[in-house]
Amino acid sequence: MSGRWDRGRVAALAPDAAAAKAAGGVARPAKWGGTGCDGEAVWGECQGSGASAYRACADLAGPAFRCSCPSRKIPCKHVLGLLLLWSDGAVAGGPRPGWAAEWIEQRREREGKARERKAAGAAKARDPKTVERRERRVEDGLAELDQWLRDQVAHGLAQAEKAPYGLWDDAARRLVDAQAGALSGQVRALAAIPRQPGWPDRLLEEYALLRLLVRAYRRRGELPEGLRDTVRSRVGFTVAQDDVLGHGERVRDRWCVTGSRDTVQDQLTTRRVWLRGRESGRPALVLSFAAPGAVLDSSLAVGTEVDAELAFYPGARPLRALVAERHGPAVPATPGGTSVAGFLDDHAAAVASDPWLERWPATLERVRLARGEGGDLHVIDEAGDALPLRTADPWRLLAVSGGGPVTLAGEWTPEGLRPLTAWQADEGAVPL
Amino acid sequence: MNGWNEHVTAALLGTERRDPPVLPEAPDGGDADKAGRLLDQAALLAVARRAGRLPGRGAAEAIAPAPGEEAPVVPPAAAERLGRILRGEHVEVLPEWLDAAAAHGWRVPARLLPDLLERGRGDRMLRPSIGRAAGRRGVWLALRNTDWAYLVGAGGDPGGGAEVWETGTRNQRAAHLTALRRRDPAAAREALRETWAKEPAPDRAAFLATFRTGLSPDDEEFLESALEDRGKDVRQLAADLLARLPGSAYGERMAARARACLTPRRRTVRGREQTWIMVEPPAAHDEDLARDGVPFHPGGSFAPGGGGRPVGTRAAWLREILARTPLGTWTDLFGLPPMEIVCLPVAGAGASEGRSGRDEHDGDARDVHIGWARAALKQHDAEWARALLKGGVMVDEPGALADLLAVLPAGERDAAAAGLIRWVEGRSELPPILERVPGPWTGDLAAAVVGTLAASAGRPTRRDEHALTQLCRLAERRLDPSAASRLEDLLARRPPGEAARAVPRAVPALLTTLRFRAEMLKELAP
Repeated sequence: MSGRWDRGRVAALAPDAAAAKAAGGVARPAKWGGTGCDGEAVWGECQGSGASAYRACADLAGPAFRCSCPSRKIPCKHVLGLLLLWSDGAVAGGPRPGWAAEWIEQRREREGKARERKAAGAAKARDPKTVERRERRVEDGLAELDQWLRDQVAHGLAQAEKAPYGLWDDAARRLVDAQAGALSGQVRALAAIPRQPGWPDRLLEEYALLRLLVRAYRRRGELPEGLRDTVRSRVGFTVAQDDVLGHGERVRDRWCVTGSRDTVQDQLTTRRVWLRGRESGRPALVLSFAAPGAVLDSSLAVGTEVDAELAFYPGARPLRALVAERHGPAVPATPGGTSVAGFLDDHAAAVASDPWLERWPATLERVRLARGEGGDLHVIDEAGDALPLRTADPWRLLAVSGGGPVTLAGEWTPEGLRPLTAWQADEGAVPL
Repeated sequence: MNGWNEHVTAALLGTERRDPPVLPEAPDGGDADKAGRLLDQAALLAVARRAGRLPGRGAAEAIAPAPGEEAPVVPPAAAERLGRILRGEHVEVLPEWLDAAAAHGWRVPARLLPDLLERGRGDRMLRPSIGRAAGRRGVWLALRNTDWAYLVGAGGDPGGGAEVWETGTRNQRAAHLTALRRRDPAAAREALRETWAKEPAPDRAAFLATFRTGLSPDDEEFLESALEDRGKDVRQLAADLLARLPGSAYGERMAARARACLTPRRRTVRGREQTWIMVEPPAAHDEDLARDGVPFHPGGSFAPGGGGRPVGTRAAWLREILARTPLGTWTDLFGLPPMEIVCLPVAGAGASEGRSGRDEHDGDARDVHIGWARAALKQHDAEWARALLKGGVMVDEPGALADLLAVLPAGERDAAAAGLIRWVEGRSELPPILERVPGPWTGDLAAAVVGTLAASAGRPTRRDEHALTQLCRLAERRLDPSAASRLEDLLARRPPGEAARAVPRAVPALLTTLRFRAEMLKELAP
């Protein structure tokens, strides 16, 4: 980890606004003693309201934070304040005091052990017997799902409108038992569809695509390798990060971070960061996950571009990737984009290779906002081609564009384009 | 490839009741049953539908662009800080940020407008400041969201041309009138006269209020006729405006009433002969007095007036009459400068030397001085304000004195306010008085406030701590941020016994805010 973080990056770590505000008050050299930093950590002792000082320390590699104060926020205001001071250049380099070195040592040790455990788990997962057992269970689970899908259609979807959530929950639970985790979440989410307008079309689409997946999995032996990987990952087979880094397709480019979106499901926060290659025009998706209280990866800042090598997960249309190696610092940049027609061609090609694609990144150049007949918002490009927007709060986008042209990045879904970031001449990159 | 809708219909009814439609393009499903075949065909169609999505053409019309901006956007550091403020960090300094930005000719970056306009929705006091700093983009955006409609016309720029007067909202039309009055008061008056009879009362009041801009004797006739208006607010506003107008018939009427109440008389009391002001409050209220804007129960007539009794209506009438009488009346009548007039002794006219009760005597003097103070405020008379502040005659009414500070020239204000603070220091009235002294508190005033803060931080009682907390809350917004270092010095140099006790929480919070503001103002300086 090299270089100091800027204030914005430190502020982004704050668990809530109150902590950010309090951190501003703590970030004063007078409050601190024994501060120091080296390439990997920052530490210091803060005089709090009590008699003894709080020892705060940040391990930048994680990043991970620790403070002896009783606050349950991670990071707490002391750590944030310390990092702000460090960001302003008010913390000098120096050797680690005993307590900081000890803590970092312990943490690294724990992390190492966790990695070993994980590796042991992975080795077990590679054991042919385990693999075979899992494949069989998944196969049985999918056969059951297939029967369930056909039952739904045979009895008629009309009943779904009044069906209790249990209908989908039961099916989802059976998929968990069958170790097809990814599918289970998808099936449970279906319960929301019959509560929306236009649900019969959506529900039939979803059921049909599930059936397509079931049939594809059954015939996985005949599928080309990429498509087989796609099917496996849709069902819930994961690929270890080490495998991706070791064997995944590597692409070096200047990757522009075009958007980031956090979603919470079952207490797990998922951050989707979209990238777009400057030379290749290729999209990529970097996922990170955080349990409650943990910090999400903030190393890819929206609106910047970084020269890096990505390693892609295998698939018919590789999209998900890991940052394998960075070759330079991130610099602010506006991504190149396409017209609406160009984007739709691109999307059609992507769907042709991965029919289960739910969202696909769009980066549209020189688009303006437009109103449809019902007052719903669209984006319209210079050729007059329009796409519907899907957003509950269009005001920031509207304010930034002022009715003029912007570069707009977002996620395309069958329901419309969810705007994530806009670039405008005066305003620069604006997360929406 | 069509047939999707047939598939949806079949799926809704169920393949037990309805056979799946035939789809020749579908590959052979092998051994699939009816339901399986329907799903397989639907999958083919669904993917085709997604991949074959066509752009909408002519379905949507581009939104008209916002007008170009004249003001440049604030520097990045200031924009970043505004973002933090809008997220709740020291949100109390938001008005100062906006005013400082507008004063230096900056505007708010467009990306922060939605959050800012949302703040203004819940906080009326903030709206004028937002209007000045939001730029044209702000108005453009507000026109598209009814929640933010308050901004349209609020910034003094009604947007659009002369047709705003015909078609605009109340705010827009008032802004248009104000702008017109700045250039050509007569034209504004004529424009209003044409539509006056057709406007509803709240609009009439809003439009009449624009007469504050460019008020002149030419407006007198219009205002006199507005004294007969059906709307109570309109009548009151017209009377208040007339009271500010020098040399008006209204002023003459009030002066005649006032002269009947206050008369000079040479008296010898305790061997000293001098001019006394003999006070006789009006005995009765009449229609004419009401027409001129003095109601039967003026505001404050039930408030405690000393001696355990309320002010009473007669005294309240007297105060109102004096407040609306041109101050020149008194310099003419007594032939003295204001400084000497305010020092003249006052006595109730009915009271003979023998039975003049002390309370009543004080009450009369207080009524007179409060009346004059209000008049000095209304008529923006700096000389009278100075005389009342320095004369030491209104020690019981520091609040009324604090109001007068606004009338003084900017250069004198700090010193006068500092004097006032030292006068009331340590009393519980201090926070409400400082409440009335607008920021920024600089120079002598800042020094006096810092001194008070440091002194009360050292006093132990709960009441002091309460007053200190209130003071800190005011100082947070108004005290010149450079005073922070002086306050820190004073706290550090407290005597040892005092220093052992913890400083109340509010003080370090104040220091943090002041430091935040200092950085903020530095970023906004041109």
